Amino acid sequence: MKIQATLLSVIIITVFMALLLLYVNRKLKAFDPLSKPTGIVLLVITFAEMIDNMVRGKTNERVAKYLTPYIMSVAMYIFLANIAGLFALETPTSNYSVTLVLGALTCILIEVYSFRERGVKGYIKSWFEPLAPFVLLNVLSKISTLLSLSLRLFGNILSGGILMSVIYQMLGSISKLIPVIGKFNIVGVIVAPVLHFYFDLFSGVMQAFIFITLTISFIGKELPNS
Amino acid sequence: MEKALLGFAAAMCVCGGCVTGIFEGKVAIQAVESIGKNPDASDKIQSMAIIGAAVSETCAIYCLLVAFLIIFILGA
Repeated sequence: MKIQATLLSVIIITVFMALLLLYVNRKLKAFDPLSKPTGIVLLVITFAEMIDNMVRGKTNERVAKYLTPYIMSVAMYIFLANIAGLFALETPTSNYSVTLVLGALTCILIEVYSFRERGVKGYIKSWFEPLAPFVLLNVLSKISTLLSLSLRLFGNILSGGILMSVIYQMLGSISKLIPVIGKFNIVGVIVAPVLHFYFDLFSGVMQAFIFITLTISFIGKELPNS
Repeated sequence: MEKALLGFAAAMCVCGGCVTGIFEGKVAIQAVESIGKNPDASDKIQSMAIIGAAVSETCAIYCLLVAFLIIFILGA
């Protein structure tokens, strides 16, 4: 059986994330709350505070307690998956199965919170709002949420990867014009890091941020007193 | 000849992204203006602007996707 490159990088990222979280847990347990946080502890505290404020701003206290850990792990996973290309791994988010699963998780969470808030009767009624024939439009809008969430992440990361490979080919053919050392892609080494900074790091952070912002606000929309 | 036509079709598809680019810029302009007028509400304006930009970007993403489908599935 042949293992797909994407599957391998998903496994590597998951193992790396688990080890990182174990390390952070040990650091946080040894941390004295009265002293000044430094290094990775400061980073983790800032990150947790940011996500917590975002979730609390859009939802209520009861939901935020369970939603914040999920949002934090999804943000970390998408960020690590987006920058996996920098570490010579296949980028998992440029595979549609991975982003479809992430989008489907968000859609299931939206339905679960809607069901919890409205109860059985209200939930069934919410599919027929405002009139009975609108059920078709409601179904379509739920499907389009799933499609747009997953396709946005997929399209952005895939287009970044394809543009980078096109640029590498172009720079390779330019550097062939240089005699003697031209076979080695020397122009690419100089030009490509700036583009990697934009297409991998900046776009990766942006897309992870957009994904979690949309997830939080779609769930917040289902709650009455937010 | 057929490959050239397919490439042209893919390029035409991506043209749909132009309009999205212009109006997503407009979202950013309006967000900056309203933060300048009312700096206290910057948190709310920021998240609304990001959501608006992301939702309108969907159109451009679909254009890109159709272009990819033309290149990699029809052109292969």
